[in-house]
Amino acid sequence: MKQIASFIVNGKAYELAIEPHMLLVEVLRDELGLTGTKHSCGIGHCGACTVLIDGTPTLSCLTPALTAKGKNVTTIEGLAEGTTLHPIQKAFIDFGAIQCGYCTPGMILSAKAQLDKNPNPTREQVKQALSGNLCRCTGYVKIVDAVLAAAETIKKGGK
Amino acid sequence: MSQELSVVGKRITQPDAAAKATGATIYAGDLKMPGMLIGKVLRSPYPHAKIKRIDKSKAEKLPGVEAVITPEDVAQWKPFDRGLKDLPMISGGYLVPPDEHILNERVRHFGDAVTAVAAINEHIAEEALELIEVEYEELPFVIDPEEAMKPGAPQISDFAEGNIGKHLSYPFPEGDVEKGFREADCIVEGTFSTTKQEHCTAETAAAVAYLDVSRRINIWSQCQLAHMARREIAHIFNMPVNRVKLMTPFVGGSFGQRGSVCAEPICIALALKTGKPVKLVYTREENFTALESRTGFKYNLKIGLKQDGTLTAMQVYMIGRLGGYMGCGPMSSAIGMTFGLGHYRCPNRAGEGDMVMTNTPVSGAMRGFGNPAIMWGIEQLVDEAAEKLGMEPLEIRLKNIKKAGEIANMGLTLESTYLDECIKRGAEAIGWKQKRGKKKEGQIRRGVGIATMSHCSGAAPLYLDHSNAFIKLNEDGSADLTVHPAPLGQHIWGALSQIAAEELGLRAEDIHIVTGDTDITLFEYGSDASRSTYAIGNAALIAARQAKEQVLERAAKMLGVSPSELEIQDRQVYVKANLKKSIPVADVCYDAIYNFKGECLNISGKCSWEGRWNSPPTGAFFAEVEVNTETGRVKVIKFVTAIDCGKAVNPMTVEGQLEGGMQQGIGYGLTEDYVINKDTGVVESVNYDTYKMPGILDMPETEVIIIDEPDPKGPFGAKGVGEPGMVGVAPAIANAIYDAIGVRIKDLPITPEKILKALEEKSQ
Repeated sequence: MKQIASFIVNGKAYELAIEPHMLLVEVLRDELGLTGTKHSCGIGHCGACTVLIDGTPTLSCLTPALTAKGKNVTTIEGLAEGTTLHPIQKAFIDFGAIQCGYCTPGMILSAKAQLDKNPNPTREQVKQALSGNLCRCTGYVKIVDAVLAAAETIKKGGK
Repeated sequence: MSQELSVVGKRITQPDAAAKATGATIYAGDLKMPGMLIGKVLRSPYPHAKIKRIDKSKAEKLPGVEAVITPEDVAQWKPFDRGLKDLPMISGGYLVPPDEHILNERVRHFGDAVTAVAAINEHIAEEALELIEVEYEELPFVIDPEEAMKPGAPQISDFAEGNIGKHLSYPFPEGDVEKGFREADCIVEGTFSTTKQEHCTAETAAAVAYLDVSRRINIWSQCQLAHMARREIAHIFNMPVNRVKLMTPFVGGSFGQRGSVCAEPICIALALKTGKPVKLVYTREENFTALESRTGFKYNLKIGLKQDGTLTAMQVYMIGRLGGYMGCGPMSSAIGMTFGLGHYRCPNRAGEGDMVMTNTPVSGAMRGFGNPAIMWGIEQLVDEAAEKLGMEPLEIRLKNIKKAGEIANMGLTLESTYLDECIKRGAEAIGWKQKRGKKKEGQIRRGVGIATMSHCSGAAPLYLDHSNAFIKLNEDGSADLTVHPAPLGQHIWGALSQIAAEELGLRAEDIHIVTGDTDITLFEYGSDASRSTYAIGNAALIAARQAKEQVLERAAKMLGVSPSELEIQDRQVYVKANLKKSIPVADVCYDAIYNFKGECLNISGKCSWEGRWNSPPTGAFFAEVEVNTETGRVKVIKFVTAIDCGKAVNPMTVEGQLEGGMQQGIGYGLTEDYVINKDTGVVESVNYDTYKMPGILDMPETEVIIIDEPDPKGPFGAKGVGEPGMVGVAPAIANAIYDAIGVRIKDLPITPEKILKALEEKSQ
């Protein structure tokens, strides 16, 4: 039996009729067309489906959509301001931290959650913050470089 | 004017990176079409069984289900070879029998496809699978290839007598190995085994199929070899090749796995049965069991050397596990032997391999294709030999590596090699002199190890190495380059743009890549064998050169000089002797297109490239490890890869390939084990909770050294670099472990249990 629920996704309010068993990843991808959130392992081990709920990284493949009712959900599509990229997005491009790009949205959102809390992380702290996100292409090296560079940019107030 | 390169060699950002950073990239699984159905596949829970009966009536009655197809329903279509490749040039002709149907009445491995459904959404499709009743007659099965070769073992394929899918010999035998061993002062030998590594692509297999207005098959396919996949699809569905339009989306990783057809045949069958668009996305579990993963080997390797370390003979006999269908696996033995036995200078070489069918998921190509498997043994035995002969591991390698001008691993002239530089500079970076061979004490012991390798830039001469490129210049001086590599994350679009731009005197951003549609692109063998930058790059370079000649010819007329007096730099055609005299490329192109003097021309170039050379990239790998002698746990502290990949077209993406290779190599070496239950044939490694690929915390400090010396045959000196990064990682780790604790592990992966067992045996 479908339920009507309100969601705030990337700052916009939506009212959707959804089945109680639907996962957040399904609602985002299939109902809202936000396909930047990826489905990869389905068991919460790879982090490709990571979104932010009230700023906290959350695995949308394990989260029933209704638990996000009324909360602020941020997906990769909500990070740039218009055509101005978020400094983490820009750093991922500039440092070659993106290869196939499939883990990138989750990686960037995990990094954002960390930098929002700790704007001055060490290399080790960045690695800890990204330890729930698997990447098969990059060896993670350039991803860490990019997050540290983005932290510097954000500290300087840059975009 | 400077002769220096102005575009090639630069760390440019990638044309597709911004879309990937913002979530805007559309992968196959993201596609949505009006009226699109969702496909799902019911798979065998048994390793070997005959399907006696399928009752699909309940599933068909479920509202929202549009088709349920069984082996009987797809019998009208032809069997196929998922691996796509026959190799007429190898081992006296190598033809793969089409041994697989879209759905099979006799399932040959856990996860084999039995029935498929198409429904209006995923939930209904899943529910429908549960309503299908299948009666199986379980058949005797065999998991282990050596068991499968014994008389009386269950037979898996009609054509594979004794379950030998294919016997393959080393394609480049040399001399007389018996004589070579007689001449040797020192012989080392061992039995090594390697695992069925899973590719763990971030995106699972996915396809979307529909019929267009002409009722042609349109298929979004992740296949790395788009044109050969189109050929095979046309064959399966019994239609001319131009009745199939194959489109390549961005692909969330491949590493060789999408070198075969994956989800396409079932997806197309469902689209043909329903007449509607169908999307089929595999689950992670299906990715582990229904697709190919790396071929696992067990092999006996023997090496003979003179007292001074000179190699006299190398010989190998390999047994490889193919799985229930032939797939890409068989070649990995012959190609592994090619890379391994041809790596060092050795006058007497021989190798044989039996590729054996078993009731296990299919084996195929993964990054390095046989090279990581064989170098796992060779580089350990070379270290063993060095120790016996009282030589240093670096010294014995420097003595035996090939020099430019010698015959390379694939039987062609070695055009360039800087492996000696790789060894020297890598050793310095890891701190070899200070760290190697030091006395070790205590619970935690450190060691350093080396491994080397040579690989390929393309498939020549073992396989067709045919690429095409077409380039046209627009009226504003921008260019469209039509090519069909697979965009797997290796940033090939950027590299090809750089090559074409460099030749044309344009900027990389001036080149737009037209691609991904077999209706438009010319034949392309595809992206594997580390060939895209080298082979497609050479095609793009020659096409661009033709277009450049036309630009110069017309500019010469406009400037009143001869073409040989001109050069193009940064979008401007200059008279070399008088740099003030110039004309923008854009003006030349505009005049050619909007020409009212009877000389209209769309400046363009086209090249059909066929690889007649193959410049092997070479590299040296250095690991520093820490071994806990109480727990057996191995931690890689630092890893250095020094690579000779010719001129690095984009050093940033070359580093990315090598760093990614380290991750896959560390997984191959230490943690990745594809477990199949011997008693039931059930695959137990089906997701990341049961199969450990390295996460960010498992990665050591890393360093990549690029020698960056141009090769004479590569485009602007480039060689291939996609696969090399993981080839030497596992043996370098094994050699470092030996340096730390004095034990050798010869079967992958190096688990703590194996370390503890070896330490215990050593202490007895």
